[in-house]
Amino acid sequence: MKLASHSVRWLAGRKVIVDSVTLSVAQGQTLGLIGPNGSGKSSLIRLLAGLRLPFEGQVVLDQKSMYRYGLRELARRVALVEQHSATEANVTVMDVVRLGRTPHRSALSPWTGEDDRIVAEALQRVGLQDRRDQFWHTLSGGERQRVQLARALAQSPSVLILDEPTNHLDIQHQIDILKLVTELSLTTIMAIHDLNLAARFCDVIAVLANGRLVASGPPAMILTEELIASVFGVRAHVSTSQHHGRLHIQFLM
Amino acid sequence: MRRSRTATFAIGIVGTGLVIIALFVAIATAVAIGEMVIPIDRTVAAFTNRLGLTAITVPRLEEAVIWDYRLARSLVAASCGAGLAISGAILQSLLRNPLAEPYVLGISAGASTGAVSVMLLGFGAGAISLSVGAFGGALAAFAFVVLLSNGRQTADRTILAGVAASQLFNALTSYIVSTSANAEQARSVMFWMLGSFAGVRWPEVTLSASVVVVGLVICIWHARALDAFTFGEDAARSLGIAVQRVRVVLLLVTALMTATMVSMVGAIGFVGLVIPHAARFIVGPGHIRLLPACALVGALFMVVADIVARIVIAPQVLPIGIVTALVGVPFFSVILYRARKAA
Amino acid sequence: MKLALVATLFAGLPFAAVAAPTGYPLALENCGTQISIEKAPQRAVGLGQNSTEIMLMLGLADRMAGSAVWVSPVLPELAADNAKVQRIASNTPNFEAVVARNPDFIAAQFLTSVGPKGRVGTREQFADLGVASYISPTDCAVTDNNVSDGTRKQMLTMDLLYQEIDELSRIFDVAERGRNLIDQLKAREAAVRTRVADKASDVSLVYWFSSADVAGDAWVAGKNGASGYITKVIGARNVIDSEQEWPLVGWEAIASRDPSVIVIGTMDRRTQGADDPVVKKTFLTSDPVASKLDAVEKGRIVEMDAQAMNPTIRTIGGLELIADAVERFGLLK
Repeated sequence: MKLASHSVRWLAGRKVIVDSVTLSVAQGQTLGLIGPNGSGKSSLIRLLAGLRLPFEGQVVLDQKSMYRYGLRELARRVALVEQHSATEANVTVMDVVRLGRTPHRSALSPWTGEDDRIVAEALQRVGLQDRRDQFWHTLSGGERQRVQLARALAQSPSVLILDEPTNHLDIQHQIDILKLVTELSLTTIMAIHDLNLAARFCDVIAVLANGRLVASGPPAMILTEELIASVFGVRAHVSTSQHHGRLHIQFLM
Repeated sequence: MRRSRTATFAIGIVGTGLVIIALFVAIATAVAIGEMVIPIDRTVAAFTNRLGLTAITVPRLEEAVIWDYRLARSLVAASCGAGLAISGAILQSLLRNPLAEPYVLGISAGASTGAVSVMLLGFGAGAISLSVGAFGGALAAFAFVVLLSNGRQTADRTILAGVAASQLFNALTSYIVSTSANAEQARSVMFWMLGSFAGVRWPEVTLSASVVVVGLVICIWHARALDAFTFGEDAARSLGIAVQRVRVVLLLVTALMTATMVSMVGAIGFVGLVIPHAARFIVGPGHIRLLPACALVGALFMVVADIVARIVIAPQVLPIGIVTALVGVPFFSVILYRARKAA
Repeated sequence: MKLALVATLFAGLPFAAVAAPTGYPLALENCGTQISIEKAPQRAVGLGQNSTEIMLMLGLADRMAGSAVWVSPVLPELAADNAKVQRIASNTPNFEAVVARNPDFIAAQFLTSVGPKGRVGTREQFADLGVASYISPTDCAVTDNNVSDGTRKQMLTMDLLYQEIDELSRIFDVAERGRNLIDQLKAREAAVRTRVADKASDVSLVYWFSSADVAGDAWVAGKNGASGYITKVIGARNVIDSEQEWPLVGWEAIASRDPSVIVIGTMDRRTQGADDPVVKKTFLTSDPVASKLDAVEKGRIVEMDAQAMNPTIRTIGGLELIADAVERFGLLK
């Protein structure tokens, strides 16, 4: 599915958080949303996931306005993994992943074998199939992130939206998650703060600064030293890595 | 080794059966014991007579005590326990707070104000009964809370609004009582404070049972939605739940169930707080099992608590709120302790 | 009848043996405290309907500066006098409101008014302003006021009320009037004793003061209070055994004790569900259990001023009322 936003605007009180952002992600593409803290990434993510109604503009899913989809219909197409997931409930890994099937089941419909299969598959994708009965509050931050991703996958979505998916993970898991996410044929949008990982794994990058979209396009084109300096306020040296052929950004102190 | 789904199901059925049997035994005990000494054979005869199976002579007074007092009372206790426990579970899930309980929405405070207004200010000019006044007051407090807590961050705002409502309506009650025309004659006013099942008869059984059954059905219908609230309102919305609608419906159902109970028997504490935790401990956090479990365990608990309240200092009655507190407080401490460890 | 009594009170003055005038300063022991009255009070304040009514009955309206804590309208025969006394509050007044009347003496009915946890103020607070305070001896005997208005370990007798009348009359230097009032009350009590003699030993009573919810548990009189006194003079039995002044009891318990007469309290207060005597009667005749009680089926329900259930001058009136009722019901042997 193709997802696009047209001039979406979001305010908090009188402060403009997202200022007329227009971007689009093609079917199967991975879009990385980068920008310094306070650039409006999280708010934009929420707008793109359909959790908030923009003050102006609209978000469109495959030619149709997102708000014309029924809530459950939308949830079957778009899955969100939030930055932080907290609960007091004594749920197990399995309970959480099964939540992903919620939009596929009506009020009292029974659990089917199909549901079981999808849930098991999702768990396996994130490598937690042996931990299905472990309690949520005993998991590490990274493991929780992976469980939430499994839950999102259990929604069988066409679009996957992630808010800082690598935050709590160690480097191996960061790479594993990103590889997993980009290998899926899903349309993916992720807010990410590590520029190198963004360059390595994203097909397209969108750069946000002060709520405005300052640039978007393939990483090789967008991630220039000038842009990094002006948006992030750091000096960097950008080169093409000889090891993996993608961009490699070195920060100069 | 993980249990198969069939095994879990079987254990669930057996467990449920045991609790239901325990509930029946508790109600039977409540009917058989009391201040008036009625031999067990006459108690049984009173039932078999009603069913048309026998025609043994049972003194009219005894029969009335068995049917209209003891049986009605234990059935209302069961409904009340179920209703408060379900309400507590719903609120703990919606407000994502393990300390939430039915009176967090200011309902019992509002009920006091309503009852006192009818009695002392003559609201309704004699046409409105105390219970109706209490019910109206309870809903007024609830409306106040809903108004204050609309918007984002609803869980915390709702709790704070509930605290504000409780304070406001309690103050109103005190004001009305202390400016009333006649002196108190130093009578203690434990008004609506601790609750009592003493005043219920069969009309209350019908009302409370209907309200609880309807409430339970509506809540179970929303069991999936409630599960989706586990990680918050945004997470629920992203799973396709109509968050605002579900919130309003469930809060309203909870408020109606609680308001009905409070206006009927007063505010009985700790049940709505503690039983959901006990039920969660037994059947887990999934609402499709939690809600019926709360209903059964809540019902059983309240019937037993009422028996204790009636017999422990006979011929006087121990207010039932004291019994529930005596059980509830240690249990509550355990919850806090475990929460502290997990944090 | 009461009007005639009050008339006799004053009429009897020249004919009775003259009681000694009070010697000031008058020293008295009252509720565990020594009090000293310098001179006959001229601006007394009554805190409690009974204390006020006693003072009015002793003809002291001109020497009263105020009254408070009224439960019901004043006795009709005292209405004219009462009109001369400023009512500070119907409810419990605060300390300043009382002091604003510039009192020189406080007569209180309940410990809860001016006792150690006094709602109006403590005796020490009044003493600091040079105001002596007097608490009814009928309430001093009540302990443990935290539990349902307290416990009374020993049966109340009217002696405590007579003591109060006597002491108050001496404080005001109207000992004669006090003696007359006491004599009359004693005469009425004796008359009931004679009439009833031992004929009511089969009679059992329950005194229903009120309930929060009329169908729920009831506040009934314990065995040692004023109701207990009435029961004892008549020679009957209170079905309730508690030493608490007003224990909370369920209707199943009352039903199991099968009282032969049910006394229901009448009052003007309407803060509790069963305050209205009409509400009480409707309950008794319509409740599935209460309506089957022998006492209810045979109509043996007596309405009595709830204040008679407290140790007051109205208690004797209550005594006469109950004795009449028991006789009317044909329960005397």
